[in-house]
Amino acid sequence: MSKFVDRPRYACALGGALATLRAIPRVIPIIHASTGCGHNLHNAINPGAGYLGGGYCGGLALPSSNVAERDVVFGGETRLKEQIASTLEIMDGDLYMVLTGCMVEMIGDDLDAVASEFEDSEKPVIAVHTPSFRGNSFTGYELVLESLIRRFIPKQPQKEPGTVNVLGIVPAQDVFWKGNLREIKRLLERLGLRVNTFFGEGETLDDIRNSGKASLNIVVSDVYGIEAAREFEDIHGIPYIVTGFPIGADAAGEFLLSVADALGIDGSQAEAVIESEKQVYYEYLERLADIYNDLDLQRYAVVVGDSNYAPAISRFLSDDLGWLPELVVITDFLDESQKNTVAGRFDNFESGVRPNVRFDTDASSVRRYMAEIWPRNRNERYYDSMSPAVVVGSVYERDLAERFGFPLLTVSFPVTNRVVLNRAYAGTSGALCLAEDLFGILAAGR
Amino acid sequence: MNYLDAKSAPAREDRLKTNIAFGGTCAQIRGCIRAGCFSGKGCLNLADRRFAETQGCQFTLSLAILNTLRNAVVIMHAPIGCGACSIGNVGVNKTFKQLRDPSAEGVVWLSTNLDEVDVINGGERKLREAVLYADREFRPETIIVANGCVPALIGDDIDSILADLETQTAAKIVPIHCEGFKTKVMATAYDAVYHGILKKLTKKPERQQYLAESDLDKIREQYRISRNVNVLNVSSMSRQDELELQRLLNAIGLNVTFIPCYAEPEDFEYSLESSLNVSICGTHDDYFVEHIRENYGVPFLIDTIPIGRKNTDRWILKIAGHFGLEKEAQRLIEVENRLLDESLKPFRKVLAGKRAFLAGGEVRIVATAEILQDLGMEIVGFKAHHFDRFIEPMFDSLDNVDDVVIDVATNQPFEQSNLLNRLKPDVLITHTGGNNIYAKHGLPILPLFGPSYNYMGYSGVFEVARRLNRVMRNCQFNKKLSRYTRLPFRKEWYEKDPFAYIKNQDAV
Repeated sequence: MSKFVDRPRYACALGGALATLRAIPRVIPIIHASTGCGHNLHNAINPGAGYLGGGYCGGLALPSSNVAERDVVFGGETRLKEQIASTLEIMDGDLYMVLTGCMVEMIGDDLDAVASEFEDSEKPVIAVHTPSFRGNSFTGYELVLESLIRRFIPKQPQKEPGTVNVLGIVPAQDVFWKGNLREIKRLLERLGLRVNTFFGEGETLDDIRNSGKASLNIVVSDVYGIEAAREFEDIHGIPYIVTGFPIGADAAGEFLLSVADALGIDGSQAEAVIESEKQVYYEYLERLADIYNDLDLQRYAVVVGDSNYAPAISRFLSDDLGWLPELVVITDFLDESQKNTVAGRFDNFESGVRPNVRFDTDASSVRRYMAEIWPRNRNERYYDSMSPAVVVGSVYERDLAERFGFPLLTVSFPVTNRVVLNRAYAGTSGALCLAEDLFGILAAGR
Repeated sequence: MNYLDAKSAPAREDRLKTNIAFGGTCAQIRGCIRAGCFSGKGCLNLADRRFAETQGCQFTLSLAILNTLRNAVVIMHAPIGCGACSIGNVGVNKTFKQLRDPSAEGVVWLSTNLDEVDVINGGERKLREAVLYADREFRPETIIVANGCVPALIGDDIDSILADLETQTAAKIVPIHCEGFKTKVMATAYDAVYHGILKKLTKKPERQQYLAESDLDKIREQYRISRNVNVLNVSSMSRQDELELQRLLNAIGLNVTFIPCYAEPEDFEYSLESSLNVSICGTHDDYFVEHIRENYGVPFLIDTIPIGRKNTDRWILKIAGHFGLEKEAQRLIEVENRLLDESLKPFRKVLAGKRAFLAGGEVRIVATAEILQDLGMEIVGFKAHHFDRFIEPMFDSLDNVDDVVIDVATNQPFEQSNLLNRLKPDVLITHTGGNNIYAKHGLPILPLFGPSYNYMGYSGVFEVARRLNRVMRNCQFNKKLSRYTRLPFRKEWYEKDPFAYIKNQDAV
């Protein structure tokens, strides 16, 4: 049974769907909803995702039926039909996707019937049911992918060996999604693979159309994209593996080995790639040998984030930087089995550090957990405080960080205090960026 | 006017006959104003579009005010996405609140996260849990419950639930009924918010009664009230704007308090100890000030917005007139105008003859056009969010705009893009939102308002001139974007009439 949420760190299914479509070139969303839905969601996703902007046809340019009370009386279908037809006249796209909001779903508009009237249009029109009450942004991502997989991507009986799809990185909700996809792709290409990430640099709708040819789907998440991978398996017969989200050289190494294993690629080829990745990685990290040890830059850490970032960053802090992530708060809606899977990621850190892991969607809870996991100072003369520490979280953690006097690096949604373009935190080169940013804030006053 | 017995404020389509879809010239629209099309007759009331782009709803716009209130927690009684736009206010609103009170807390809100089960069973349980949590965890003075479309459609009896909860909470609970689907005139939000404030927060303050009070003390108190005006601020204005307006009214001997934005809940009580409510924009405040006059006898002034020289002069004179301070006001206006005029000379040299398009709120765009005319610039087009009777006094300050095109559209960048393509202005002055489209026209853009910039009063005129000059000096960023990125509208759209998709009431 779900509960209220103190400052949600996601939008709704419609928001997730819009953000996902925002990431595919020349796809035109048509919102069938109340007047405010698109506007509200843009004003959440734009600042929350490091100022993603409206792009080609997002933001206030989003076509929307803007159904109001008087339309409710007659049903919204007539209005939707008019809106789809006029959108096809005005907006220049290659695929039109109708997304619904709560209100039209509640009054029972027959979305699929209206959309099917446009079957013969020059460019495809696909309808997806995305009311807010169905779930959050992550749900929206799955719903859009499910529709594409079922209704847009043609079946390809002949698979291409060495072609893979990457799932599990949710545009905008992962603020660094595009950079991360580039890095994941780069790593996989080093194994000699052809990689389709759906939303990556230079990728188009055609890459999505051709994704049925892949011989493996790689889900870089314990939670997101798994539904989509199952759909791919059911409909297109493409098997999938779940690898978790890799940050750091060891994590990237394990990621590459599991992919190589699934595709029957010679392990030694993967080992060679990993070796050369590590060489570059440590060539850079070596620079920190001086300042890290000169100034004692080991830190305690509080990590607040989603199921991808929280475990991956904690492990990187613990095993690559030698820091002490003491508290980790994971902020998604998860069921028990998902919680167990994600919690399992914290079991075997090489450092032996075992963070306190909590699952909680409320922004105000983090401070309470701080009090729980670390004894308070009861006016002791000698008090072993959890300091110096760094908070890695979202912008919601700013008050917490200020209260304790800890520096904050915002990584997980919402990130309104940074502008993000092509930065990545995944993989090996992403981990170097993360190290740069973390030590950068420690050096900022110097 | 008295709507306070009703659960919620009426939609502006009904109350003001507001129009959101019209295309024509200023002369035509002024004719419509005179003929009563935007008031009694309301003949354009039901006009709409066959193609529409997303726009704000009264829920999101309500948050623009609610998120500024100090010592308050907002509960969004809705599915998880409604009000997610507050994410954009997390940082800035904390800063802006702290400009009024250095120890103010940031923006805190809870979503009742209504899901598929709640759509069937109702959202009462979650609403109760959220309110009690907010009261316990944050100890706010006020808990504001804003409801979205879903509870309105499932028929949650929010007012009764909240009345019951209020017996258990330390905080006052203010329901705001602002479901988006009720109206397409998003400015109905102001009425929705004021409706809640009027019902729950405005009452005569409980002052300590002294057993013995000297006549002097009484007179002093009466004098204070007789010289106090409430200026009704808007969330789109800045602290600098407030300070400028305060300076001007102080100069003629008046004291100023600002409500509703960035106020504390109890400020609404003290606001009744005032002699005049001054609206700076008819779009915002008529619902509030009319109810206050009716229930508490405080008179009000709604006329022009103090943006631009003539508008500021007029605004000060109207207020001064109420207090019999015209002479003081005239002296002030004379000095201010002389200083300002001198300061504008260098900008006039550069900006004279440049052609501008303005888009945004009806009152704001026409007022800002006055600044541009003052600088010798030419107005080539307007786009207004909506039109109603409050636009009437605004045109007085402009010269030669009869043939200027005007589009009434809440957002709708497709129409604006078409107009920009036809009119090819040298500069665009526009409301936030839609700049992913307008930037690609490759022209310099100045925001129509900004909560961290000064636009109002005499200093605002100088500031707008100065910034306009700056943005026009180098617009390489937008120019390059226009060269290397594409607009989403088909070329055929630019060959069509920009108002081709407006359907009039006959079509509805």
